[in-house]
Formats: sequence, C-alpha cells, structure tokens
Amino acid sequence: MDRRVIRSLTRIVGRQNVLTKPADLLLYSYDSSTTEGRPDAVVFPESTEGVARIVKLCAEGRISFVPRGAGTNLSGGSVPLQGGVVIVLSRMNRVLEIDAENLRAVVQPGVVNLDLQNVLAPHGLQFCPDPASQKVSTVGGNVAENAGGPHCLKYGVTVNHVTGLTVVMPSGEVRSFGGKALDPPGYDLVGVLIGSEGTLGIVAEMVLRLSPLPDDAQTVLAIFDTLEAAGESVSRIIAEGMMPAALEIMDRQTIEAVEASFPSGLPLDVEAVLLIELDGLRESLDRQAARCAEICRELKAREVSVGRTPEEREKLWSARRSAFGATARISPAMLVNDATVPRTKIPEVLREIQEIERRHGLRIAKIFHAGDGNLHSNILFERGNRDDFRRAEEATAEIFRACAEAGGTITGEHGVGAEKVQFMSLLYSPEDIEAQRKLKAVFDPRGLANPDKVLPEATRAGAQ
Amino acid sequence: MSALADKLHSLEDIIGPASLITDTEAVASYRVEGQQPLAVALPQSPAQVAGLLRQASQDGLSVLIRGAGHHLHLGAPPTPIGLVVAMDRVRQTVEYDAENLTITAQAGASLEELQRLAGERGQMLPLDPPGGDRATLGGIAATNLAGPIRMRYGSPRDLIIGLRVALADGALIKAGGKTVKNVAGYELGKLFVGSFGTLGAICEVTVRLTPKPERRAMLVLAMNSAEVKEVTGELLRSRLEVASLGIANPAAVERMRLSLPVTIAPDVRVVFIGLMGDGAAMARQEEEIAALSGGACARLNEAQGRDAWQALREAPYPDDANAVVVRAALPISHVAEAVELVTQFEGWWSVARAGDGLVYAGPPPDTTVRTTLERLTELRKFAGQRSGAVVLEAAPLEMKRSFSVWGQVQNLDLFRALKDAYDPTGNIGCGRYLSRPQ
Ligand SMILES: Cc1cc2nc3c(=O)[nH]c(=O)nc-3n(C[C@H](O)[C@H](O)[C@H](O)COP(=O)(O)OP(=O)(O)OC[C@H]3O[C@@H](n4cnc5c(N)ncnc54)[C@H](O)[C@@H]3O)c2cc1C
Repeated sequence: MDRRVIRSLTRIVGRQNVLTKPADLLLYSYDSSTTEGRPDAVVFPESTEGVARIVKLCAEGRISFVPRGAGTNLSGGSVPLQGGVVIVLSRMNRVLEIDAENLRAVVQPGVVNLDLQNVLAPHGLQFCPDPASQKVSTVGGNVAENAGGPHCLKYGVTVNHVTGLTVVMPSGEVRSFGGKALDPPGYDLVGVLIGSEGTLGIVAEMVLRLSPLPDDAQTVLAIFDTLEAAGESVSRIIAEGMMPAALEIMDRQTIEAVEASFPSGLPLDVEAVLLIELDGLRESLDRQAARCAEICRELKAREVSVGRTPEEREKLWSARRSAFGATARISPAMLVNDATVPRTKIPEVLREIQEIERRHGLRIAKIFHAGDGNLHSNILFERGNRDDFRRAEEATAEIFRACAEAGGTITGEHGVGAEKVQFMSLLYSPEDIEAQRKLKAVFDPRGLANPDKVLPEATRAGAQ
Repeated sequence: MSALADKLHSLEDIIGPASLITDTEAVASYRVEGQQPLAVALPQSPAQVAGLLRQASQDGLSVLIRGAGHHLHLGAPPTPIGLVVAMDRVRQTVEYDAENLTITAQAGASLEELQRLAGERGQMLPLDPPGGDRATLGGIAATNLAGPIRMRYGSPRDLIIGLRVALADGALIKAGGKTVKNVAGYELGKLFVGSFGTLGAICEVTVRLTPKPERRAMLVLAMNSAEVKEVTGELLRSRLEVASLGIANPAAVERMRLSLPVTIAPDVRVVFIGLMGDGAAMARQEEEIAALSGGACARLNEAQGRDAWQALREAPYPDDANAVVVRAALPISHVAEAVELVTQFEGWWSVARAGDGLVYAGPPPDTTVRTTLERLTELRKFAGQRSGAVVLEAAPLEMKRSFSVWGQVQNLDLFRALKDAYDPTGNIGCGRYLSRPQ
C-alpha cells in the first residue's frame, strides 16, 4: 500500500492505532470462519469522525475497506478479500447513554454484547439479542449480521430491537437514520442496513430498543433416545400455543464433545438433549413447564428435569453454553453452517444431514435453535487434510441444497459473508439478486465497502 | 386510434379487456383526492401485475397501486394518475402453514379472511390496523400500519418475513422467505414495507402468526393529567406484560363513544391497559396495576372491554373525507406531554399508543382551516424539538396543500436515489410519498 496512505491513516488515528507489520496484519486475516485474506493496513479509530476520515481517504484513493468488530462471525465477513484497510471498531466501545425512560440505549459499535447486558441489568433492562458469542461479539457486529441467539424465537432478532443508526457511508459522509422515536417518515433504511455485513457502510453509533427483564424463567431439560422425538416435542409445544423463549437441541456428537471437555453429567448413550426455556410472568410458568415436561415424557424422553432457581437453570444450560467451544476443542477445524428451515421440516432435513454425514464419512455435530428451525451443523475435519476439507465443503453444499429445497434459507443468523456467496443462487433468481444489487449500488457505487461479500458478481449470478 | 387508446389496448393484452375499466363513471369511484385516473386495471395474478407495471412504465402511464382503498387518505396529494392497479383480485391464500406459524397470501387478500382462517386453528395475524379488517394484506404491508397490539407483537415491518414484489421494469422479485430467521442477502423486504407503493407493487406477503391469547382484558385508570407520565412510564418499564397501553383525553373518550365505569372530568386522562394471557398471570397483573395506580383502576366487563379494544384500534381512522387526523411519533417519555399539548387545543381529541410513542390527534369538526393549520404547525414544532416527527394522516386536500403531509424528511436525497434505482422513470406512486416538489 502506498506509503502516503499509511501516513494519512497515521495522521487520522495516531501511530499507535495503525498496524502495517506483516505479523500484525496476519492476525487480521482471519475471523471465526475458514476464510483468509491479508489486509494492507489495520486501523483502530476512536470516534465516528475518525471512521469518517478513514473512509473518505479510502474513497478518494479507491481503496477498499472492511469493518471489523470482534471477528467472531462465521462466514468470512470481516476478512478482506482484496486487501485494503481493515477498520476495527473495538476501541469505540462506549455506552453513550442509557435512557431508561425511553427504553433506549445509545452505544458505539465496539461495545461487547454481554458488557452492555451487564450495564443494563441493574436498571432491570436488557437488549434482547443474545448471540451465544455475546461474551466477545460486539453490538456493531450483531447489527451488521442481524444476529439472532437462543432467545429470538420469542423476542425476535436484532432488527426488531434497533431504532436508529449513525452510519459512515462509503463516501465518508456521516448520516443518521431513525432515532429514539419509531416510524420516521421515509424508507426503513435502519431495517435495510441491519444485516448488511458492512457492505453498505460502517455503523458508528446505534440506538437500541431496551426491554424489561422477564419476571421469571424456568428451564426444562429432556433427554431423548432419538433426535426425531426431540424434534417432535418442539413441534407439539408450539402447536399447543406455547411460546418458549428458547428451544435448543444438541445431538449425540455435541453431547460427547461437551462431556469430553466440560463434563456436565449428561449420559453418553443418548441421541438428543432438548433444552426448553420459558420466561414471563411467574404465575404462568409452572403450568407451562409442567406441560412441556409432560409432552417430552409422552414422547418417551428418558429423563426430564426442571430448573426453577437461577442456579438450577444455569446448571441445565451449562452444557449448551459450552457446546460450541467443546466441539471446537475436540476438532479445532470445523466448517460451521446455520442453514434454516421451517421448523416442521427439521426431522426431514435431519435425516438428510445424517445421510450426508454417512455418505462423506464425516462427523457433524449438530446444535439447533430448534424453535426457529435454525440448524447449526458443525462439520468436523482434520486441519491440513485437504481431502477432509473438500468433503466437508461438499457436505456443506449438500446441506444448503437440502435446506433450500425444504423451503428454508442458507443462513439464519451468521450471514453470507464470503463463504455463502456462491450459494445465493439456491435461493434467489438473477432478477432477485439484481434487485439487491441496486441497493448496494445506491449506497456504494464504487464497490469499496467490504467487497465481494453478500452478493455474487453479476456474471457469477448467471444473469442471462 | 389515439395514443391513449393504444396504451390502454396494450394493457388489455395483458389482463384481458374485461379487467380494464375505462368508463369514466366507473373509473370515478377510484378517484384519489380529486384525481380521476384514466383507467383502472384489475389484474388477477402477480405476473399480470408485473406485466402492467412494465407496460405502463414503457408508455409513461403513471401508476397508483391500490388495495382495498381504505387507506388512500394517506399520502401527499397525488400527481395525475394514469392507471390505478387495483389488487383486489390478486387475493389467493398461497399457503397457510399453521404448524410453522406463517401464512403466505397474495396482496389483495383481506385481513378479515386471513384472520378467519388462522382463527380456526387458534392462531391470529398480530395485525390490528385502524380501518378494520377490510384492509388488504398488501395495503397493510405498503403502509406499515399497526394498531394497539403493536406494543406486544411489533409492526408489519417486524412481522412480515417474506415478500414478492413487482418492480417498475416488470421483474417479479422475492425478498426474504418463510423462515423467521433469514440473513441471506439484504433485507429488501424492509425497503418495500412502508414504501407506500412507490418502489414496486407488493404482490405476496408472508406473515408470522401467533397463538391467540387465552384471554384479553382491559383495565382503565382515570387519572389526573399530571400522573399519566409517571404511571405509564412505570408500566412500560415493569416486568408485567402489558399488551397495549393507550391514553385518551376526554374529547377522545367522547369521540370513541365509550361508556366507561369512571368519571371523566375535563382534566382527567384515561389510561387503557390491555392485557393478554392466561388467567393466573392476568389476576396477578390486575392486582399489581391496581396497587400501582392507588386503587383507581377499573376492569371493563367483557362487552365494554371488547368495545374499548376496538375503539382504541379505530381511533386514528378518519370519520369522513373532511376529517383531520395527525400522528406524532415521539420518544415514549414525551407521549403524555404531547397529549397535554393537544388537549390544550380547543376541543381536540387525542389518543396515544404510549408503548410505541405514537400520539394521534384531530380537531373537532367545526374548527377553521386556519386554526387547524396553526395547531398542526405547533405540534410539528413540538415533535421536532423532541426528535420526533409529525405526519398528517388525513386532511381535506386544501389543507394538505398548505401543510406538508410528511414534513421535513431526513435523508430525502438517499430515498430519491433509491426510488430512481427501482423506478427509474418515476412512474409509480403518483407523488404520494417522498416525491420531488412538483
Ligand atoms: C461461539 C460462537 C457462537 C456464536 N453464536 C451466535 C449466535 O447465537 N447467533 C448469531 O447470530 N451469531 C452467532 N455467532 C456469530 C457471530 O458471533 C455474530 O455474527 C456476531 O454478531 C459477530 O460480531 P463481531 O463483533 O464478532 O463482528 P465481526 O465478526 O467482526 O464482523 C461481522 C460482520 O460485520 C461487519 N461489521 C462489524 N462491525 C461493523 C460495523 N460497526 N459496521 C458495519 N459493519 C460491521 C464485518 O465487516 C463483518 O461483515 C457465533 C459465533 C461464535 C464464534
């Protein structure tokens, strides 16, 4: 990269906030996916104005830039594919305002989700999106990915909890959209920008909608001898008109991984664990929890436990919380996908995934946000084993195809990033994609904001 | 043949002559704010809608998209209308997937028929826009209209997970899908929901359903205006699960024709607390609310309760073509204050949706145009100073000409760039939303 550009960057954010040494750049060539790509420079702005000046510099020099939060995304979204500048938002980590009266918080993008929750809790409030990565991932990253989490069955995803954004546009101009009030006249660009993965601009400030913490919660854990029975329990619970806050399933591979790393006392000869979280007014919970437990027993659950106190509940949740880490521990190399199907298609798609697993001789550890049909198939492979990796990739493609055919989508919460671009055509026609490209062109006519992400190239989309 | 006849002929080729209305008298019932369309098309499928839009764009025939016509009072005065594309016949239920709590229907399906369908399985579309269930699903999507239960369930923007949209160039595109969680590509649906038919014609909509609540109850508190802010604030921040929270001044109670078991002195505001849920939880909530309000709380009986839910939903709907209805959207802590401001206006009614920061208001029928305009200006200034916005939802045409319907719109240049991208010839929407000054 041109020395002059580096000098300008240094002038904007200070020498200590620019990285250019190869060893440093290497650290920002990854995220939590398998994609790699080296930036030319990494900068750490500390203010919206700093971000704007960096982006303006990029715009003037036709240099591409990639925003980055904590780098926990699982789709290659924060990896630069064309070099350029990685703009890390982690130093913009201030909670600017907690406006309890208006049920809003104004925060910078680098605030870590859990840190925010901890600041809100004393006010009796929460920001509903709670991705399993919340200890590390930033609220800016959550917004950029439209993150979900275990509790979005009942509470919705990030887009349902953000009312305003300040955005540095790809030209370097700063704009604000929405605010503390709802329904500002105009198209809903807050809604459009959420989930745009840094390809339409950089989110520099957010107005978040806060909600009171639930009155109370209860957790039910049921152990099953078949995955189908766990899935069927989920369907019955919903069919009876209950709306649990979370419905999570882990399969045997995941349970084994958990017990090998962070033993929680789950039996090893079972096929599925179903975790049900009910929250809301205390008075309705006993009855609902009892009914959920009954449904699980009717479907031949081997064991059902109900947690009522925070300690009991935490114990039941512990296996689920450590599941991803535990799986990564037994197989540091894994391909993660989060294809999503209408909930009732889970059993059918599961059978296909198991078949894919067999056909490719792979191990796939499955964790689902079953309530909303979001399947996390963690495909384990041996690092450095090319053949293994190729089979894992093939399996991924087959899972996507199966889910798309079942009326689902290739990603429920992790984003398209770099890794799923090639699968967009499973869901969208060239015309659909063209309509999305129009949006990108309005925001980023020069194509400098996180290039090669989300949308396939015009030719690759097979447009005519 | 005249140029117009040629154009109409091309339209007939798409939908058949019987589906194109050109007779002046018949077309007259499709007038919008004094503008008489040249023709009205009644397509029967999304493909026909797309065909019409493409042809009309090619021929420079401006298009206004219409659902059931119950919310056509919304919007700036239209520019000349070439063709009304009426969606009434594009109305199939594509898929009711009760087990997955979704319903997909074409734009012209009425909320009424969809509610009936979902109701048979103990479910509902959590949509309750003013204007009743006659509204079409497409119209609700295009206007993003919601009602009292928005506080609990969200607005159409939150509840719509998939769309099929016909664009001006005739492309029929899909946005989103059938799953609640879906982050594949941009959320184009957000762009079209609430775009008032200016970016394309919404042809098909997928909505999240919800189980019908076991019970509904409505509590009313009659309280001194000074206490309203504190009590509603406490309710909003509490762990109770209030499903809707309304505030009405005495003029509004009268306009809603509600008979309530509370005495309504002029300085009294009525707070309506809507609850949904099961019996056990309901009883406890009632107790806590009674305690919080110092015992001034009355529970409406079933009939009264039903009337109140309904009246609160319908409050913002204009009584007739001359009615003035204005909506202020504010940070929620300013709602009570806005109700007070409006109540000071001579005889104005005001109904607020406290949980969503929305305050609806209108003058009594005999108010002069001049006074109304002054009040509207005052309210807009009030909202502007509190990072809110005021939209004139309904008003006679002359008033709309003197008071901007949408007010100052931030990012207008960007909205127009988007409009240019999706409708390059500016052919659809007839200037009702975010348009360039004529
Ligand atoms: C163990 C684990 C569990 C996870 N669980 C969940 C889960 O339950 N639900 C879920 O949805 N996801 C989950 N994820 C994925 C990931 O944590 C989320 O996508 C998260 O929102 C990313 O935040 P981040 O700060 O790490 O962003 P990054 O990974 O740094 O960036 C994500 C994307 O956003 C862009 N970006 C970042 N900041 C900004 C900004 N300020 N403005 C514009 N664009 C920006 C980046 O360019 C990139 O495209 C999980 C990941 C891991 C590793």
